[in-house]
Amino acid sequence: MTDFYEWVRTSLQALAQQGTLPQAFEYSFVINALLCALLIGPLLGGVGTMVVAKRMAFFSQSIGNAAMTGVAIGVMLGESYTEPYISMFCFCILFALLLNYTKGRTQLSSDTLIGVFLSVSLAVGASLLLFVSAKVNTHILEAVLFGSVLTVSNTDMNVLLVVTCVVLALGIPLFNNMLLASLNPSLARARKIRVELMEYIFVLMITLLTVACLKIVGAVLVEALLLIPAAAARNVITSLRGFVILSMIISTVSCIAGVLIPMQFDLPLPSGGAIIMVAASFFVITTIMRAVLPAYRTAKN
Amino acid sequence: MSGPSIQCQQLGLSLGGVEILSGIDITIPAAEIHCVIGPNGGGKTSFVRSLLGQMPHSGKVEISWQAASTQNTIGYVPQFLDFDKSLPISVYDFMAMICNHKRPAFAGFSRGKRELTELALERVGLSGKSKTQLGSLSGGERQRMLFAQALIPQPELLILDEPMTSLDNRGEEIFLSLIEELRSQGVTIVWIAHDLQQVRDLAATISCINRTLVYAGPPQPFLDSDEAAKLFRFTRPHADTAPLSELASTGSAQ
Repeated sequence: MTDFYEWVRTSLQALAQQGTLPQAFEYSFVINALLCALLIGPLLGGVGTMVVAKRMAFFSQSIGNAAMTGVAIGVMLGESYTEPYISMFCFCILFALLLNYTKGRTQLSSDTLIGVFLSVSLAVGASLLLFVSAKVNTHILEAVLFGSVLTVSNTDMNVLLVVTCVVLALGIPLFNNMLLASLNPSLARARKIRVELMEYIFVLMITLLTVACLKIVGAVLVEALLLIPAAAARNVITSLRGFVILSMIISTVSCIAGVLIPMQFDLPLPSGGAIIMVAASFFVITTIMRAVLPAYRTAKN
Repeated sequence: MSGPSIQCQQLGLSLGGVEILSGIDITIPAAEIHCVIGPNGGGKTSFVRSLLGQMPHSGKVEISWQAASTQNTIGYVPQFLDFDKSLPISVYDFMAMICNHKRPAFAGFSRGKRELTELALERVGLSGKSKTQLGSLSGGERQRMLFAQALIPQPELLILDEPMTSLDNRGEEIFLSLIEELRSQGVTIVWIAHDLQQVRDLAATISCINRTLVYAGPPQPFLDSDEAAKLFRFTRPHADTAPLSELASTGSAQ
């Protein structure tokens, strides 16, 4: 894949030097970030519709926080502090499976339990990150928390590509089963769907996606990119197809604009922050449309 | 086609240390309508969910599928559909989610499934509602959609969990004629019902469950008994002049 990335970079840089593309494309890190944005945009937008439909926004937030702990553990165990993927994946997957396992065995409502896990993961992550911060460059920690296009490497792109393939391979054929399992578990079971297995597969997908997107969007904000494009689309859409497509478009445009705008206008913004602000502007627009246009008027509760 | 018969032996269920059901012995005949009746909180829904294998029950539940049958298809109509009403999911989306094998619902129907869906929606009187969002359907229309999904594929065993709860008169007529039609096609129907007049008219056998088995057998002897009058709180002499459905205590099951 490295040769392919190199070919893309060289081709786009040549076009930028000829003046066909903006000057920002002369930098290879911008091209890396854009390639990642083109992968994570549609993916997060599509999966986000399921997160919203299954009411699991808080869950992805807690995984993002767990990733911070994963980074800290990786640094403590001597992993490369720029790419501590083994620790991040292992810790986050364990965390997600434990959360899902506990969810099925307590009387607590889902949001209460996720709230407990979220707080614990944030507390442990913040404590460990402060503990290891003396050993690593502070900018690396900022990149983990808020995303940074500067730190995207070939390894990051490979990880993202593999995760994209896994999520697509699981998410497309199991989309109906996962959604029905959350809409009515009893009906899903009667239709021979293994509801618990679907829940585990879904949390695994979210976990893999969250960890793979850390470098671009950041641990703190990755949940927002799962949530905001889908929420913005839901404001103005009446069919499932439109919901998924519009969410993917908003997410992709947000990712690309969030990477390019700070470069183009020399703004000192982390990529994660910029991406979320663009996505949030879509949400504001669709919310206003919903509030103002007569076509969207509904009865008040 | 002939649906299966079902045998329950010493069926029991305890959840969180509370005994929900105990010592239930019932045989549900093949290709007939079997109604499950009983007071609220008596364990009717838990009983049918045990039949579906969705509860950690004790005892034995045996579904004897007919030899010629290969699919062993169970249709299930739940009591309600609990979901976020603002979700942009249309009736077609929901039906595609149910019918499609691997194709995601947002990509439309798999080959041949749209025709099946249209036919099922027509049978429940929802032809014109295919593009309506689930959140915009009335309770009765949503219930009819749930019945439509249970018709795809054609079930051999149909389990109805209080399907009439939010139906209007037309919806009830549609449901009753569909239930009768399916029975004539050989489908075994297990139906949690609370309208005792409908039970009297349609059921071949009934079981009355109130934590334990109160009665199992043909409907007439039990529904005419003092025990039924006491359990459902109607006065028998009045039953000659007023429909039982108006007299029986009704409400949602647990």
